[in-house]
Amino acid sequence: MRKAIAAVLMTLATAAAALLVTASPASAHGYISSPPSRQAMCAQGRVANCGAIVYEPQSVEGPKGLTSCSGGNSRFAQLDNPNMGWPATSVGNTVTFNWVFTARHATTNWEYFVGGTRIAVIDGGGRQPDATASHTVNLGGRTGRILVLARWNVADTVNAFYSCVDLQVGGGGGGNPTPTPTQPSPTPSQSPTASPTASQPPAGTTTWASGTAYKVGDRVTYNGVTYQCLQAHTAIPGWEPPNVPALWKRV
Amino acid sequence: MKRFALLLAAFLLAGCAAAPAQPAPAGTEQRVFNDTDVMFSQMMVAHHSQALEMVRLARTKAVREDIRTLAAAIDVTETDELKTMQVWLGAWGQPSAADPSAHAAHGGAHGTSPDDIKALGATSGTEFETKFLNMLIAHQHNAIEIARMETGTGVNPGALDLARRIDESRTAEIQQMLRYLNAPS
Repeated sequence: MRKAIAAVLMTLATAAAALLVTASPASAHGYISSPPSRQAMCAQGRVANCGAIVYEPQSVEGPKGLTSCSGGNSRFAQLDNPNMGWPATSVGNTVTFNWVFTARHATTNWEYFVGGTRIAVIDGGGRQPDATASHTVNLGGRTGRILVLARWNVADTVNAFYSCVDLQVGGGGGGNPTPTPTQPSPTPSQSPTASPTASQPPAGTTTWASGTAYKVGDRVTYNGVTYQCLQAHTAIPGWEPPNVPALWKRV
Repeated sequence: MKRFALLLAAFLLAGCAAAPAQPAPAGTEQRVFNDTDVMFSQMMVAHHSQALEMVRLARTKAVREDIRTLAAAIDVTETDELKTMQVWLGAWGQPSAADPSAHAAHGGAHGTSPDDIKALGATSGTEFETKFLNMLIAHQHNAIEIARMETGTGVNPGALDLARRIDESRTAEIQQMLRYLNAPS
């Protein structure tokens, strides 16, 4: 009897766990990818120590009407912190903001603010947006460093999605956005699992390293085994040679 | 109607979670699977097919070599993953595609529609590149969500391993694509 109750409880617990897990996609929706919003800066690794937002830049959802970059989510509090070293993207007076949508909610509108002032509103017509959106916004002659707050107002819920973008506005008007010249190149990071083997790699080969651009014919060692590159690519975690036979052939 | 949908969702969730792992024939741990493994594989087969259509457009239409190279690498790796999952589904005696509505409660349909891909194909040059990157970033965010459903309640060792690698590699692909978007060559 006790066993049966335990089994029932176990089943309920598993079902509850499944509910939690499967509920998570519902919290994912969209953000500004370029010029990079704060969450995009975190997701692409240009700003460190961002916390949970790194894995879900699309999830900054909060009640409509807020003016905070985190949308009031304490787990994304880093987005509100001005001292994170947010790079400002250099732009002219007119900027095109591009959105990534992971769930395309019927949309009332998109609002853009600088300080307390709404500088642009783009109507969504209450419809589902296209797969992507690009909004060209006039910054109204502001110059210097500014913080733009964008609010995507969903039509059929009480919520909105928040994205903040740090900009450095040049003196000239009307130009296209230009990226900051100080784009750091991706630093090759050593894979935690690709520990150099005790023996030296054979001549002409290197130890496989995430972040490295490999071309066809390049040879690497990974865990003491030598592989040859079949398809040019930049190595990333999850694409270790033994895991991706489409990219690497064991030799 | 909404109540019915909720009930249906609850039923599906409970059904998925409570389904015991299938009995394993001796020595074949790859034969151990549950409804989550099946759902993950079926959703991913459809999701991969959409990604392949997008990256194959980019292999010829993208202007920048770094974007074409990434598209080619995604093409060959996802083609392999797709075949692997089709083999699993066959071995498990499951269809390689399920009625999409059956997965709605699991965040299903978070993919890219044929119309969207057609609209992407109608663009060119830098407009194509920007649209492609933003669409594929969203698509890979969704892939991560499906992979996390698997790592949450799946049991098949191969599917769990693939889901972990999808989580890692798509996170890194998104990182690369965000950099490409913001560092025009």
